[in-house]
Amino acid sequence: MTTPALEAQGISKRWPRTGAVLEDCSLRVERRTVHALIGSSGSGKSTLLRCLALLDPPDSGSIRVDGVLAAGEGAVAADPNLRRSIGVVFQEPSLFTHLTALANVALAPHRVLGLDPGDAHERARRALDRVHALHLGDRHPEALSGGERQRVAMARALAMEPTVLLCDEPTSALDPMLTREVMAVLRDLALDAGTTMVVVSHDMEFVTAAADSFDFLHAGRIRISGSVDRLGTRGVDDELDRFLQRS
Amino acid sequence: MLRALAPLLVLAATLVAAADDGLSRVRSTKVMRWGCDVSGGAPFAFPDPSDPDRVIGFEVEIAEELARRLGGRAERFSADWLALIDALEADRCDVLINGFEVTAERKRVVSFSTPYFRYAQQLVVRSEDRDRFTSLADLTGRPIAVLNGSASIESLDAAGVPPSLIVQYDDSLAPFTETILGRVDACLQESFISRFFAGHDPRLALVDATFDPGVYAVVVRKGDAALLNELNAALAGMQADGTLGRILQRWGLWDDAQPALGTQRGPVVATIPEAQGTPPEDGLPWTLVLWSLARAATMTALLTVVSMPIATLAGLLLAIAILHGPKPLSRICHAYVLVTRGTPLLVQIFLLYYSLPALGAWLGIPELLTWNKVVVGIVCLAANYAAYEAEIHRAALQAIPRSQWDAARALGFTRWQTLRFIVVPQSWRLSLPAIINDLNSLIKDSSLVSMIGVQELLAVALGIGKASFAVPSMLVAAAAFYLVLSLLADWFGQSLERRARAVRALPEPIHR
Repeated sequence: MTTPALEAQGISKRWPRTGAVLEDCSLRVERRTVHALIGSSGSGKSTLLRCLALLDPPDSGSIRVDGVLAAGEGAVAADPNLRRSIGVVFQEPSLFTHLTALANVALAPHRVLGLDPGDAHERARRALDRVHALHLGDRHPEALSGGERQRVAMARALAMEPTVLLCDEPTSALDPMLTREVMAVLRDLALDAGTTMVVVSHDMEFVTAAADSFDFLHAGRIRISGSVDRLGTRGVDDELDRFLQRS
Repeated sequence: MLRALAPLLVLAATLVAAADDGLSRVRSTKVMRWGCDVSGGAPFAFPDPSDPDRVIGFEVEIAEELARRLGGRAERFSADWLALIDALEADRCDVLINGFEVTAERKRVVSFSTPYFRYAQQLVVRSEDRDRFTSLADLTGRPIAVLNGSASIESLDAAGVPPSLIVQYDDSLAPFTETILGRVDACLQESFISRFFAGHDPRLALVDATFDPGVYAVVVRKGDAALLNELNAALAGMQADGTLGRILQRWGLWDDAQPALGTQRGPVVATIPEAQGTPPEDGLPWTLVLWSLARAATMTALLTVVSMPIATLAGLLLAIAILHGPKPLSRICHAYVLVTRGTPLLVQIFLLYYSLPALGAWLGIPELLTWNKVVVGIVCLAANYAAYEAEIHRAALQAIPRSQWDAARALGFTRWQTLRFIVVPQSWRLSLPAIINDLNSLIKDSSLVSMIGVQELLAVALGIGKASFAVPSMLVAAAAFYLVLSLLADWFGQSLERRARAVRALPEPIHR
């Protein structure tokens, strides 16, 4: 069996005040596949994603990136080398307001990877092109629409050429028009054979069309997982049926 | 405010280890550093109204003659009058020659030479009150204006006037102005000062009877016996050969009281025009005056231009240390901000200027800790404003959303890289308007360093104003210069803001 791009074992996370949000979650994301995390609001999807992104440490359990232990007992705390191999697109684009779109994308390749400005820009242009935003390069974040910002944020993550790209409901803050625009880009990325992605999404149409596998979270636990084909058949799980009915 | 400083200054004085023997220092350097306050007014040591860069006065001439007789030249040290004794203790100068009355209280702290001038206290009233107030007794229950720290206070005290009726002012001219304006009913000063300022003013009248005579003498550090002996010998020579008598005559200060000190009059000399105590007839020499102010304004600008960038940068480092530094460092920096913001800038200037050399002497490294007054001024302004800027930076740094940190962390930026390339460039834009606001207020706060004798805009304007009986117009002129500096600061601030708003298209290129 090949080493998975991302593997989580028994992740639990509780917040001091609100209590448990994740309990014993395990998942496995194979290379060059798209994995969807689905579930209703408050089911723990975003928390799981933040753990996978190494932004919040899990209370227990372990995370391996490309087979290397990144979180859990015995892991080097917050190793930047490992973190940069995981790209993240958040619900809010969070672009750096003092830089143009191109510089937003080129900053990390230049400062973190140490590429010289010419190479960093070349990489940034390629990444912008992948999200159909090359023409926005010299714009300021203030001069971009919500959808354009989110596309630039995707390019910013892609420019680091991460092992795996995590997307946390990148359309949740957008209106339907802009949602379509961003979903189209996300779909292109997902269908691109080389990409390994974990996507948190409500959009079942997108999930069935673009994802290979899924985990269904309910109340902090992974209830059902497997190939997206399973989403076509009802009656496997009541909660999943209820969720699919609502969305 | 200065009264509140007294305990600190005493502390400073007690910290002083025995300074170098003054005489050997004067002999080896061939310089006698003498302290005075040039804004104290005529006829002691004051800016020449017709050439404000030159300091003239009868004590300037006495100092020069004494220095010559000690085998060197005189080098003037200026500071606020109330700070002069501390300056002497801190070895900023060798002697003080500035109307220091010999009093028992002062004798406990410093040594006095034989006297060089004898005076008495003289009351001045409004001319319409000439017949109403003919003695101190007539003024019972009425406020009387005096010069801050002068012997007139002790005279009134001894005469039973309650402290609440003794109104103190920072310069010798103000008590007369206050009398004219009717805020007080009389003022009491040394007789010749009363003659100098009030003798020619039709609105004022001198009360004939003088009382409580006293003497002025040169002040040296306690225990500086060798220097004191030499000074006494030189003074005796000046008294005997008529040199002192000549100086006093030139300045219109000669009277029947002087021979009692053993001073010979010498040949009769006419009083010079500068000693007449009247406003210059053709008004102020404005070209020269404005030139002096312009140069003083460059000092103000220098203090601001050097200290504000230091304050801004130091404030940023403090704020970063407070928010992101290890706990002990964060606590220390926070305490620094609290203490610095919580104490007056004036106290900080005094402590650094007078107590640091004392500490240096105590530690055996006096040269290392005895800084030039401009340096002390810049360090104090920068250190004080750094505390305020730290709070501005802190607010701006905290205003950068958490999501920016997350985004940077996800891209692999370290904490310091995130601060440097992402957070600070954005917080800087937020903090800039408040920093420019502080820049404006620093321009005006910089006048506080005149307390240690830095000749900045306000000090020079006041000095010229007092010497030329033109304080209000000089203050207006100084205000105009301040306004120009402030407008320049605003213009600079606006261009900085424009630049900060402009988006950086590219990461900074790496030069290879």
